[in-house]
Order: sequence, then C-alpha cells, then structure tokens
Amino acid sequence: MNHLKYRVKTFLKYKDLLGELVVRDIKLKYRRSFLGYLWSVLNPLLIMIVMTVVFSSMFRKNIENYPIYLLTGRTLFEFMRLGTQSGLKSVLHNAALLKKTYIPKYIFTVSKVTSIFVDTIFSMGAFFIVMIATRSPFHVQLLYLPVILIQLYIFTLGVSFWLAEVNVFFRDIEYIYRAVCTAWMYLSALFYPIEQLPHLLQIFVKTLNPMYYYIAQFRDIALYGRMPGIRIVVGGWIWAFALFFFGLFMFQKNKDRFVLYL
Amino acid sequence: MAANIIDVDHVSIRFNLGNVKVDNLKEYAIRRLKHELTFQEFLALKDVSLHVKKGESWGLIGTNGSGKSTLLKTITGILRPYKGSVKVRGQIAPMIELGAGFDQELTARENIFLNGAVLGHSNRFMQEHFDEIVEFAELERFLNSPIKNYSSGMKARLGFAVATMVDPDILICDEVLAVGDVNFRKRCNARMRQMLSGGTTLLYVSHDIPSVRQLCDHVLWLEHGEVLMEGDPDTICEAYLERQDKVYSFRRKIMEDREQMERGKHVDYLVVGAGLFGAVFAREARRAGKKVAVVEKRDHIGGNIYTEKIANINVHRYGAHIFHTSNQKVWDYVNQFADFNQYINSPVARYQDELYNLPFNMNTFSRMWGVVTPDEAREKIRSQIESLQITEPKNLEEQALSLVGRDVYEKLVKGYTEKQWGRDCKDLPAFIIRRLPLRFTYDNNYFTDRYQGIPIGGYTQIVEKLLSGVPVLLNTTWQEYCAKHPDCYGKLIYTGPIDEYFGYSLGRLQYRTVRFETQELETDNYQGNAVVNYTEREVPWTRIIEHKWFEFGKDAQGNEIPGTVISKEYSTEWEMGMEPYYPVNDQANLALYQKYRALADKEKNVVFGGRLGTYQYYNMDQVVAQAIALCEKELGRRIVIKKKHS
Repeated sequence: MNHLKYRVKTFLKYKDLLGELVVRDIKLKYRRSFLGYLWSVLNPLLIMIVMTVVFSSMFRKNIENYPIYLLTGRTLFEFMRLGTQSGLKSVLHNAALLKKTYIPKYIFTVSKVTSIFVDTIFSMGAFFIVMIATRSPFHVQLLYLPVILIQLYIFTLGVSFWLAEVNVFFRDIEYIYRAVCTAWMYLSALFYPIEQLPHLLQIFVKTLNPMYYYIAQFRDIALYGRMPGIRIVVGGWIWAFALFFFGLFMFQKNKDRFVLYL
Repeated sequence: MAANIIDVDHVSIRFNLGNVKVDNLKEYAIRRLKHELTFQEFLALKDVSLHVKKGESWGLIGTNGSGKSTLLKTITGILRPYKGSVKVRGQIAPMIELGAGFDQELTARENIFLNGAVLGHSNRFMQEHFDEIVEFAELERFLNSPIKNYSSGMKARLGFAVATMVDPDILICDEVLAVGDVNFRKRCNARMRQMLSGGTTLLYVSHDIPSVRQLCDHVLWLEHGEVLMEGDPDTICEAYLERQDKVYSFRRKIMEDREQMERGKHVDYLVVGAGLFGAVFAREARRAGKKVAVVEKRDHIGGNIYTEKIANINVHRYGAHIFHTSNQKVWDYVNQFADFNQYINSPVARYQDELYNLPFNMNTFSRMWGVVTPDEAREKIRSQIESLQITEPKNLEEQALSLVGRDVYEKLVKGYTEKQWGRDCKDLPAFIIRRLPLRFTYDNNYFTDRYQGIPIGGYTQIVEKLLSGVPVLLNTTWQEYCAKHPDCYGKLIYTGPIDEYFGYSLGRLQYRTVRFETQELETDNYQGNAVVNYTEREVPWTRIIEHKWFEFGKDAQGNEIPGTVISKEYSTEWEMGMEPYYPVNDQANLALYQKYRALADKEKNVVFGGRLGTYQYYNMDQVVAQAIALCEKELGRRIVIKKKHS
C-alpha cells in the first residue's frame, strides 16, 4: 500500500512535467509550419480523398459511405501507429536526460502517447468536416466516442511501454515494429469491408486483432447509428487493460537497468 | 545523534560490459547461436559507504573513472545499487549537468518551465520564482529566443539559476562550474556558500582541489570504485595531490615507453602484468638482449606489492607485505634493488580487551592461562583437547578444536576465521585448516625463514628498478593491446587470471578477497604494532595495519615520522570485477583450474606465471624464485647476482 502511495506521490510531483512535455511537443509541431493546425486536418482529408477515388468504386456495393468508413478506421489506426511508434523511442530519445537526473522514466512514454492523442483529437476535425460534407446524420450515439478513444489510449500506452522497454535493449525493434505495423494495418479492415476476407482470417481478425474492436465500435456509432455490441465493448476494455498492465509490468521490471544500456 | 541525511551502505554498482556492444536483436540472435555472448562485469563502485549529516559539505575527489559521478548518480536515484542500500532524507537538487533537459528549439522562457518541471517543481511554483531566475541568470534580453542560439556559458547560467532557485536539502554538484566566466563562477560560489550557511548539505565533485578545500568540510577519496580515504579535506587533498604528482612524474617517465608501445613494435616477449613476476622476467629478458614490453591493467606498476607514500609513510596498498625467505639466491636477488631492514613479523591478536602474541607460543599461553613452563602449557592444551573427544572432525570448528583446544579456538581462531570466510566455522569444511602450529618457546617471530625484512622506502622502488629500461604501458588490458597490435610479440608471459585468458570459456575461478579502508590519523602511534588481528567476530574488520611500524616509524633519513596511517582490512565475498587475492583451494576450483591448465599447455607461445596465472597463493619469495626459474629455462642462461658489499 505504501508503495502505491509513493508511486502516486511521485506521479503527482511530476504531473506538471508531463504537461510541459506534451505542450512542448504540440508547440514544436505547429510552431514552424505555415498552415499549423490546418495540417492536422488537411492531411487525413487528402489521404481520404485519394483512397476514396481509388477504392470506393471497388467496394461501393458493400459500403454505403466509403469516406466515413475509411476515416473512422484510419483515424484510430493512425493514432495507435503514431502513438506506439513515438512511444517506442521515448526512453531512448531522452537518454541524455535520464542519465543526468532522476525522473520517473514512464513520464516520457506517457507524454509522447498523450501528445499524439491530443494531436489525434485535433485531427478529428477532418472527420466532422467529412460528416458534414457527405451529409451523414449525426447520431446521438456519437457521444460515446470519447469512451472508445479512452480505451484506445490505454491500449496504446500499454503497447508503448512494452516497446519502449524492449527498444532500450534491442535498437532494431523500431524497424521490425514498422513492418509489423504495416501488416497490422492490412489486417485491420481499414479500407475494405471485413467480409471480403476469407472466413478463417475474418474470425482471426475479429477476435485477435485488438484494433478491430475499437474500429468496429467507432463505425457502429458513426456509420450505423447504433450502440456497439457488448462483445466488442467488453473486448475493447479487456484488450486495453491487458496490454496496459502487461506493458507497465515489463517496463517497471526492467526500468532500473535502462540507464546501463542507454 | 541526529539522523544522517544521506546513508550509503556497502553499495556496489555493476555494469555489464559486453565484449562487443550487442544492442540489436539480429546480432543478439546470431551471437546467441554462436555462443559468443560473453559479458564482462565491471564494478564501478565496490562496497562503498558514505554517511552524511545534515549541513555537512562533502567533496568527492579521485582520478577520472574512479566512480565519483557514479556515486552521485546512485545517490540521486539515476542508478540503482546492485548491492547495498542508499537512503536519502530530503529533497535533492542535482546538478550533474547544468541544463540537462533543455530543449534546443524552445525559448529560454519555455525552457525555464520545462527544466523546472524536470526537477520536479510545479508550474505555479515556477511562475512565482520566474523573475528571480531570470535576474540571476542575467538573460532578460534573450528570454524569447530559442535556446539553441545561446552560448554554452549562457546555458550554464540558466541551468544553474533554475537548479539553485530554491534552497534544497541536498545540493549535488558534479564539475559543472567549469564553464562560464570568472564573474559567473564567483557568483555561483557565493550562491553555494549562501546555501551552505542556510543548512543545505553539499556533495561536490571537482578536480579543482582548491575549490574543494574552500567549500568542503569533509572529503572522500575514491579510486577504482573504492574508498581510499575519507576525512579532513586538508590531509586528504594533500595525499591526493602527492599521489597525483608521483603518478604524473612516473607517467612522464614512461611517456616515451607509451609512444614506443603504441606503435606496436614487435617484441620478443610481451609481459602481461607489471607485478613482481612480470617485472623480474622483464628485467632478465632485457638483460639477455631480448626485446620486451609490459602491459598493465592498473594505473601503477608493482601489482599487489605496490606501496605508496602517504604523509611520508610507505603504505602497503594491497595489504601487509613482509618479505621472508630461506632461499639464498632469492634473498641476494631482491637485495640488488633495495636495502632491507630488520623487521620481524610478530603480529598481535586482540580479543575484546585482551591482547595475545601470535603465532601461538608460550607468550600466548602464558597470557591466556598464567602457565609458566612449556609442560604446563602442553598439559593444559592436551586436557582441553581430550575433554572434547573429537575423533573425526566434521567441520572446521571440530578440526580446530581438536588441534588447539577450546580456549585458543574461541578467542583466537573462531571469530577471525568466520570473518575471513563470511560463514560460521561449523559450516566450513575441515580441510581449510590442516594444522595450527603451536610453539612451546617464547618466540614471537611469525616466520621461520632465515631472512626477513621490509625494503626501506617501500616495494615500489624494487619494481621500478626491475622495469627500468623496459617499456611499460599502464591502464591497458592485454586484450585491448593485442587487438590493436596483432602479432606484436613472439611470446606472451601471462600473469593475469588464467580463466580470463581463455575468456572464462570453462567457467570462472573463485577467489577470496580483502578490502582496505585507509585513514590518516593525527596521533603518532595508534596501536603500537604494524599488524593487529581482531579475532572477535563482532568487530567488522579482520586486521588493522599501521604502516609506519614496518619501517620502525622512521623515514629514509632516520627521522621520526609524525602522524600515522592505518588500514583496516575487511574480508569480502569475491565477485567479478573485484581484485582477486587468494585462490580458493577447494575441489571444484582446483578441478576447474586443471581443465584450464590443460588448455594452457596446448597454447603455444604463452607462458602462464605468477599467482593468478597458476591459480595458487605464493609468498613473494616463491614468486621471485619461480620467475628466476622461468628466466633460466626460457632465456637459457644462468641468472647471475651481483652481491652487495655491506
């Protein structure tokens, strides 16, 4: 119990550092770009337009609102991908600092994932623009969106902790993970209807791909105007916390050795 | 007594130095498969203790790589001790690097908040102190420009201002004030003194000895991760400077050697280790007209017989070394290089407040039982042994009891042996003690050899003379050297650990090791004898050596030396990275050694020698005899000794 209290105390002590680091990331990202915030919105929009032009004719029959279908999946997946990929580097990139002063190491991982999270919320603008442009109805179920984002945030944190930890010892994880991400993306039914997959693979994706749970929830509320089913909601939470605790455990287990390998 | 604000207890810090840095999965997998994954443990700190009271200011000194920064980082919490514990009661302001965590892209204003947060201050707190910081750093004009445009001095100013904005309980300062102009340094010193008078505790690392003397009231001298001395700044700083001078002048002397060796010129014999064995061989090889060179891992020559002058006293850095031999040739040989005095080793054992002469002789027995004649003593011991009725000793305790009886065992053997081995005598095997010689004469001379003495002026001179004209490269492992200069030798004379030579491929040999805490004292006579054994288990050290009595408290000119230097000797369990002292002669280790021996016999062009090369404990005279024998065999000529006319 005492241990936990100590943990919470240190976290509170450094919560302002977390804030500063997130603010720094966001500031630096937008400080020197002419279009600033607009980029966050424009980028997904442009990619959506390209993908829509290319793929929508292919899948028109199965998907009624292709741009929204694509954006729901892509927004979440991109958050997870960017979050974990920068989370992965978080400890190593702050090596100089970690060698010089005592800071709880997870702060860096949390701050990286959080700034990507904030960025993602900014870029949600693109999603709403497309909603309006395609005259999609704004279902009341959309109010459920923050819950999905929180699930995914926790999940991403967990994966990041784990990757950040492994990356300290094995630097090439970064490249391996990039390849994994690409495969993961194609298996997440971002731009094609999941029904197109062979039956066995479909089952595989629906059960073992955590991203599927979050994307499916999002599509339910945004596209079909219904509350997501109990299976994917509970599954989403389970994946999130399972990875979170696993990642945190691995991270904490090895954190004292980090400084020897930085 | 007020509680200490910092308690560092027996801390060791271990690094795994991979022979080759393996930091990616691909290489790891490949090496795993090829069984090439070897690590070399390196102890950056060895059993270091430090206790600091509130308000004290401690300076940490030592050469580069001695473990000063590692100790600071351990106290700060950046490094976790691998052994031992660190307790800190209070808030630390670490200045291990000024402005660590500055983001080059952000402005000074933003960086102040970021850096404050790094140090654990809240945002509100930073707002309150913002003006103060800017004022101290004198950077009002540049607040809004990115810090990458700042000079290093400006950055240091800003970093110092943020770090010292609040009076911390503990200020940790690691050689950070070297940058910045004089004016700034003055203000930093003033600020630090202000904090000190306000009750802040300071830990200060610097190579600038005058500033250490100015700021600190205690000094800790670290060398190779071990505490060499601690206490009053003046004495320790002086001893430190003296040693630096000596090391430096010696270094200068061998600078040319270094240059010559760095060219990696081919030699007939490359000697690994500048200890007694290596030095004797190097000298004789040179005299036989061979080209020879020496590489030594340590920063000094002489191996474990190395002595150094502290406060005009020759301090035996690696424990008491008393030369004794019955071998005329060896005696003549060493006498070529030094004058030996008439020192007779007669240690005293202290048990609580009782003092006994060693080795066990009539003086001992007479003190213990009040007996007068040898027969009375014999009878006493015999009756004690008999009453125990031990026929087959099952452990060391029973073995010792059956040899000397209860009294001598309890008072003089038990505690000492237990401290040496770190275990109860009941848990130790009987074979460790084969015999315990008892003497029934009033004779305190520990050794029975014909010749005995200590070289006047210390042992280092002997090795210096042996190595004169031989190029020596210090601070270099032979692996490093040979990797850089392949094929640089005809034959290797290897005096390092034999298992290390083979990369520990069959496993590691074990050693028993000792550790010394050396102190300089004001008093002229601390214990009245060079060696006092502490035979109680409760006293943590096994012996105290008072070095001046090896030379009768006199310097080379025969003047009385004021003050004294003592070394407390502790037995510690050996771990990788520690100095190996005594081979462990149990079956497992001897069997392992035999396997290495078999490998060694197959090595062409390598001769293994000395204590570590042959995994056996030798007295100095045995080492010399062995080295001479090797010389005669290897060089094919008799070693002729110039006799001194006295």
